[in-house]
Amino acid sequence: MATQRVHSQSKESLLQNYNKRLKDDISSILDNFTEIIKTAKIEDETQVARATQAEQDHYEMHVRAANIVRAGESLMKLVSDLKQFLILNDFPSVNDAISLQNQHLRSLQEECDKKLTSLRDEIAIDLYELEEEYYSSSQWESTDLPLCEAYRQRDSWASPGSSCSSTQGDREDVDGPPSQETNPPHHLNGHGTASIEKQ
Amino acid sequence: MANERLRALEEVEKEIALILQCAGNIVLELSKDKHNASLLDRQLVQFQSSVTRVESELSTQIRYLTQVATGQPHEGSTYSARKDCQMALNRAEYAKVKLGELGRTCEVMLEQQLQHQQQQLQQQQQT
Repeated sequence: MATQRVHSQSKESLLQNYNKRLKDDISSILDNFTEIIKTAKIEDETQVARATQAEQDHYEMHVRAANIVRAGESLMKLVSDLKQFLILNDFPSVNDAISLQNQHLRSLQEECDKKLTSLRDEIAIDLYELEEEYYSSSQWESTDLPLCEAYRQRDSWASPGSSCSSTQGDREDVDGPPSQETNPPHHLNGHGTASIEKQ
Repeated sequence: MANERLRALEEVEKEIALILQCAGNIVLELSKDKHNASLLDRQLVQFQSSVTRVESELSTQIRYLTQVATGQPHEGSTYSARKDCQMALNRAEYAKVKLGELGRTCEVMLEQQLQHQQQQLQQQQQT
C-alpha cells in the first residue's frame, strides 16, 4: 500500500512537472519574441550613444533568440517525455494493442493448424495407396518385415537417443527416419524404402 | 488508439519547429529596409495559431494521462499467443521437411525401378 501511494504521488508530481514545463516554455517563447519585436523599434532619443544602444539591442536580441530556441528544445524534450509516459502508462491503449496482437497470433496459429490438418488428411489417403502398392508389388517378399517394424528397428540402430517427434495429441504422429542414406540389408528390401509409421 | 495519440504528439513536434521558423522569418523580414506587410501578417498569424495549438494539444495529453495513469507497471504480455504461434509454425516446417524426405524417397524408388526394368530388357535382348 505504501509503495502504491508513493507511485501515485510520483506520478502526480511528474504530471504537475510536465504542466509547469509546458507553461514555462510557452510563456518564455511568447515573452522573448515580444521583447525582440519591441527592441526592434528605433527610438530617436536614447540615454547612451546610438552605437552603444545598437550594440546593447543587438546583444539583447541574441540572448532572447537563444532563449526562444532553448524553450523550443525544452518543448521537444517534453513531447518526448510525454510519448514515453504514454507508451508506459496508457493502459487502455496497451490493453488494446495486446489483445489485437493476441488475436492476430491466434488466428495465424489456427490457420496454420487447419492447413496442417487438411494436409494430414490428404497425405493419409496417399500413404494408404502407397502402402497398398508397396505390399502388393513383386519386390516385397513375405519374409521382409512390415514397414512399421522395419522403421522401428531402423530408428533404434540410428541412435539410442533418437526419439519419435510428435505433433499435438489430437493429430496423428508422423515419425521421420533419422537418415535416408542407411540401408540395413536384411530387414528392408533392396530398394531401401524409407518408411513412415502411422500410429 | 495509442497510435493516434503518438501521431498527435508527432504533429505537435512539427508545430514547434514551425513556431521557431515563423519567429525567424518575422525577425528576418523586420531586418530588411522595406517590409512586406502581408508576409509579416501571415507569419504572425501562423506563429500565434501554432503556439495556441501546441499549448492546447499538450494540455489535453497531460490531462488524459492524469486521468488514466496509475503509476503501476503493466503486466500484460503476448508471450503465450506468440509461443503457440511459433510452435504452429515449427509444426508446419517439420511437416514440410518430412514431406520433402518422402518425395525424395519416392523418386529414388522410381529410379531404381526404372534401372531394374532396363536391366531386364537388356537381358532379354541378349538371350
